[in-house]
Amino acid sequence: MGQDIQQQRIITKILGKPVRYVRSLFRPLVRERRTLPGILSWIGLVMLLGFIFIGIFAPVLVPIQQTNALAYPILLPPNAQHWMGTDGIGRDVFARVIWGARTSLTIMAIGALLALIVGFPIGLFSGYVGGWVDRALVLVMDSVYAFPGLLLAALIAAVIGKGIFNIGIAITVIYIPLYFRVTRSQTLSTREELYVEAARALGARSWTIMLRYIAFNVVIVIPVIFSLSAADTILTAAGLSYLGLGLEIDVPGDWGRDLSDAQKYLGSGIWWTSLFPGLMIILLTIGLSFLGEGLSDIINPLLRKERS
Amino acid sequence: MPKAGSLWAYAATRLFLSLPMLLILLTIVFTVLRIVPGDPIAALFAGRAPPDVVAATRHRLGLDLPIWQQYVNYVVQVFTGSLGTSIGASYHGKSVLFIIMDKLPATIELTVGAMLVASIVGLSTGVISGTRRDKPSDIALRLYGTIIFVVPIFWLGQILQLIFAVDLRLFPAQLRFSGGPPPLMITGLYTLDSLLEGNLGSFLVSIWHLVLPSLTLGLVLSGFFTKTVRANLLRTVKADYVEAARARGIPENKIVSRYAFKNALIPVITVLGLQFAILFAGAVLTERTFTWDGMGTLLLTAINEADYPMVEGVIVVYALIIVLVSLVIDVINGLIDPRVRY
Repeated sequence: MGQDIQQQRIITKILGKPVRYVRSLFRPLVRERRTLPGILSWIGLVMLLGFIFIGIFAPVLVPIQQTNALAYPILLPPNAQHWMGTDGIGRDVFARVIWGARTSLTIMAIGALLALIVGFPIGLFSGYVGGWVDRALVLVMDSVYAFPGLLLAALIAAVIGKGIFNIGIAITVIYIPLYFRVTRSQTLSTREELYVEAARALGARSWTIMLRYIAFNVVIVIPVIFSLSAADTILTAAGLSYLGLGLEIDVPGDWGRDLSDAQKYLGSGIWWTSLFPGLMIILLTIGLSFLGEGLSDIINPLLRKERS
Repeated sequence: MPKAGSLWAYAATRLFLSLPMLLILLTIVFTVLRIVPGDPIAALFAGRAPPDVVAATRHRLGLDLPIWQQYVNYVVQVFTGSLGTSIGASYHGKSVLFIIMDKLPATIELTVGAMLVASIVGLSTGVISGTRRDKPSDIALRLYGTIIFVVPIFWLGQILQLIFAVDLRLFPAQLRFSGGPPPLMITGLYTLDSLLEGNLGSFLVSIWHLVLPSLTLGLVLSGFFTKTVRANLLRTVKADYVEAARARGIPENKIVSRYAFKNALIPVITVLGLQFAILFAGAVLTERTFTWDGMGTLLLTAINEADYPMVEGVIVVYALIIVLVSLVIDVINGLIDPRVRY
């Protein structure tokens, strides 16, 4: 009996922080569910979850064989058997579109995760340390931010080569400055809080203050940056594929490449190979930007004060 | 605080401060192309050339020198304006700078056209949305602003092509010119050159070709204007001076156009600088959709042909443009709003 409680305590201790974090994120979402930002966030969240579902269960929803070249006659218009028709090399457009969700979400996850891993600590460090280190880092990050992201990603993709993981890396570079910026500004304001002051007065070391007192209060902005940048990630990845710098040809779903392939049939009025992959990109990016804008209105109290 | 009339001093300071930014961008390009693990030459050739050709190319471009020496050479090269000669199939042996100058006008024409569309559509929708707060038209336009901003540019281009070029046959879907030789190269801007030639016909043809690409790129950018103008207008219509104007009995539409709108534009111009990054990235995509022979097409050709000096040159020119644009935006800001001057 006593052992059970002991175990329970250990589990709570390990899981406590993440659970509390997720709960602290969802509480405002539930509270604000009737306001416009709340409604937007929920719509966006449901759309994103829908795409994640499609992405995970793509192999169950549509057999991968339907995405193979010459699986069917070429350029069939949408019909009962092929809801979205077939493309120029006989692949089922619907199957490609479904598998594309898997690819896009994977790239997005890699890009966002890497940007978080790199941008968050640098932003935290820069904001906490201040001084010339901070100023230099801000200058570098701002310069990267001002440069056309797609071009930088294209350059990196051209150097490191094609592939899902490589494109994830190429995209990361664009979003590191964003994670850096937001983390830094959040750190700057948190640094001046009374409890941080108190910790410092009690003789806590810089590392402890940074990781225990500041980091956990800065982390709250991560979902906002993520969803704000995620839509852009999807667009950039699709753009790279469209330019022929993205993925290998054997990837079962790739919206950008599908649109690139669709290009040569446009002149003959073949619309289905272009329309549907594009609509999928738009649906996913709209979902993400609804979630992002809603969340940033809810979580950022400054913005909310301005609204009322 | 410097006194009035210090706009020149402000501009000079900004110019001086933009040097580090340029250097940082150049360093990043250098890092990506030469230090990032992996061999750019081998990657660009993608196994299409035997090892000794790769090695010879490396040697010819000075890529086998120590890194610091390469970096010095590279920076000197950029600042003396010599970007080397092309090693690709399409422009072999030609000056990189010369080819870039040849392609740049096409991109400028496209981006200016797009900015025009974006400002007209974006400012008008922003004003409508901002002055009719929370009415159906406001909600519809806000939705437009959010959605159009995340539409893939190349997809919008394809759909506009399908509708206006293939189906209705109103506008051409490809190239910058048709039905004869393009206007003589003076500035390289077809619209301007045909006017300088005094040839109204070819002016109309070049405008006709410019419509769909500009519309594509401009519409996507307009979403940003819609949102920013609306947000700033909402802020300025509540300002004291607007209230004062209203108290004096000035008609509401005049208040919006004379008082609120003008002041709402200042922050728009500030954030406009960041839009240029999206504009140039979008132009690369638009150029491919409409086979528009500009900088973006050049970059892709260069990447596909393993034309290393050309890739580096194009990216460096983009970096120069970005730094220049942010400088100009800052100076314009200083011109409009004296408070931002140092």
